[in-house]
Amino acid sequence: MHIAVCLCQVPDTASVIDFFEGALDLSRVNGVMNPFDEYALEEAVRIKERFEGSQVTLFCIAPSSAKEMLRKALAMGGDRALLFSTTEPADTFQTAGMLSRAITDYYGEVLPDLVFCGKHSTDFQSAQVPLMLAELLGMESVSAIIKLEASRAGIHVEREIEGGIESLELHYPALFSVEKGLNVPRKTTIKAVMEARKKPIDLLPVTLSESSCVTITSIKPFVREKKCRVVQDPKELVLLLTHAEALF
Amino acid sequence: MNTFLVFLEQREGVVKKSSIDTWNRAQELAALHPGAAVSALLVGPASTRQLDGCPGGNGVIYHANEEAFRLYNPEHYTRLVVETMKRVAATTLFFADTALSRDLAPRLSVRLKASLLTGCAVDDAWGENGGGCCQRPVYSGAAIASFAPCRPLKIYTCTPRASRISSPITSGARASVVVLEPSSSTSEELFPLVRRMAMHEGVRDVAEARIIVAGGRGMGRAGFGLLEALARLLGGAVGASRPVVDEGWRPHAEQIGQTGKTVAPALYLACAISGAPQHLAAIGSAGIVVAINCDPHAPIFDVADYALVGDVHLLLPKLIEEFREFLKKR
Ligand SMILES: Cc1cc2nc3c(=O)[nH]c(=O)nc-3n(C[C@H](O)[C@H](O)[C@H](O)COP(=O)(O)OP(=O)(O)OC[C@H]3O[C@@H](n4cnc5c(N)ncnc54)[C@H](O)[C@@H]3O)c2cc1C
Repeated sequence: MHIAVCLCQVPDTASVIDFFEGALDLSRVNGVMNPFDEYALEEAVRIKERFEGSQVTLFCIAPSSAKEMLRKALAMGGDRALLFSTTEPADTFQTAGMLSRAITDYYGEVLPDLVFCGKHSTDFQSAQVPLMLAELLGMESVSAIIKLEASRAGIHVEREIEGGIESLELHYPALFSVEKGLNVPRKTTIKAVMEARKKPIDLLPVTLSESSCVTITSIKPFVREKKCRVVQDPKELVLLLTHAEALF
Repeated sequence: MNTFLVFLEQREGVVKKSSIDTWNRAQELAALHPGAAVSALLVGPASTRQLDGCPGGNGVIYHANEEAFRLYNPEHYTRLVVETMKRVAATTLFFADTALSRDLAPRLSVRLKASLLTGCAVDDAWGENGGGCCQRPVYSGAAIASFAPCRPLKIYTCTPRASRISSPITSGARASVVVLEPSSSTSEELFPLVRRMAMHEGVRDVAEARIIVAGGRGMGRAGFGLLEALARLLGGAVGASRPVVDEGWRPHAEQIGQTGKTVAPALYLACAISGAPQHLAAIGSAGIVVAINCDPHAPIFDVADYALVGDVHLLLPKLIEEFREFLKKR
């Protein structure tokens, strides 16, 4: 099976998001693999291990510094990584467009059997790129899956909805965005890290041909205005919630 | 002129509260923008009696009540929405921000060549700066970004408002319901196909709850019994921090945070939760936040309105007792 995984980089959650003279300053931020993409990659590698002769190819649109992150992804079981650093997309639609061209350029006429993405990136949480990409590629797709059973004939997946679960059935080629809970990503071993050094990371160009759909007009620091009142005991708390706040 | 189309989502024949809230908000926006009209599309068999008097305001609710729409089908739903957008010449499509809209909206945005803004608080500033802007937290809640659509067609998935929950519009006006002709394409079997939908019995979803009683690692596995009791008493839902889910004490569906759900309840009660940035990222739109923690320096207190410092295992039984007393007297 040919499996593509789309990876992106996000600020490490321990990093401080700074503002300098009112503008967002990400210079002190450490980039890591988007946590949801780890689940996506893990699922791809598990399928590769089940279906002999499978190939997992990583697609990443990011600055060239993302190489380090891709090394880790290769150590987790990717076979080859493609990094597209020439143009920076301005919104989700441009990202999806660039990924769709990167994928069709690489695989040619025949689409990969499976494409995996994270549910969303933890920095912007838009959750738009995966299914936009599926739509552009003309693939069947499901978002935010928590369970996947793949056979040669087709695929069964489950996704969480408010208060329940939906079970879906679909065919190859298919694209999935992946929710936490689908699997537990493996830890990389020293041996895997060594082997990953020999795997290729290709720096490739990709064209930007669509205009953006959404612009970010401002990013401002979020100032919490809350003032915390310390209450003495549960009795006082209930009184405040029921009377002052009139919640009940 | 602006024509709004509001997608009304049903599950098991019941229109979602969050959808009705979105309809009400669209009505409010229309009132602020002279010439704007609001229509709605209700997809799937559902009792419209539930809507009687609830969504007020003007406009037509188009009801696609075919059996084929009972369960979500991405392709059938996409086609229906595209058709209806054309039919009412809609410029703006509003969804409530749900698992369904997060799946459907990106497909539609490509099909309709529309700007897509997900997870947004659509507020009164919507019409400013040429229109259609909205805001939402980014970078784990460290920043607020404003997004502006550039395409003539716009799609929004709207997050709930903590303060006003489905307050019906009482303008006296009534929306009318038009049942749509069955569409010819719904007999086609289109994939992905939802084979089954299984709802958890008697469990309220955290993403929709007005009151959330959330617990962290400090609760211990057994401590969640207290939170369940309190949630039941208040008609709320139980939520959890990530370690609690990773330990297997609670299901993933209850996780709140950057890798869980984003919530906006009227009351958020955080019990033995430290208040890590990844957790706080998801409760920024909560109304009143109450934190109970034995550590007076826990970061959760920075975002709380009320603090109770002490051991949850001692304080929660008392709190439950006090609420029970209050509710009995009321
Ligand atoms: C990529 C990434 C994503 C993440 N996503 C999420 C997410 O979605 N959601 C999430 O919640 N976390 C997430 N985290 C984890 C997050 O960083 C914190 O580790 C987590 O939120 C801590 O959970 P906690 O508050 O329950 O536990 P702790 O930090 O261990 O806090 C326990 C708290 O309980 C208090 N306590 C202990 N015993 C008692 C008692 N008897 N009475 C009163 N108080 C007591 C302590 O004082 C402490 O404040 C993520 C982390 C990473 C790296």
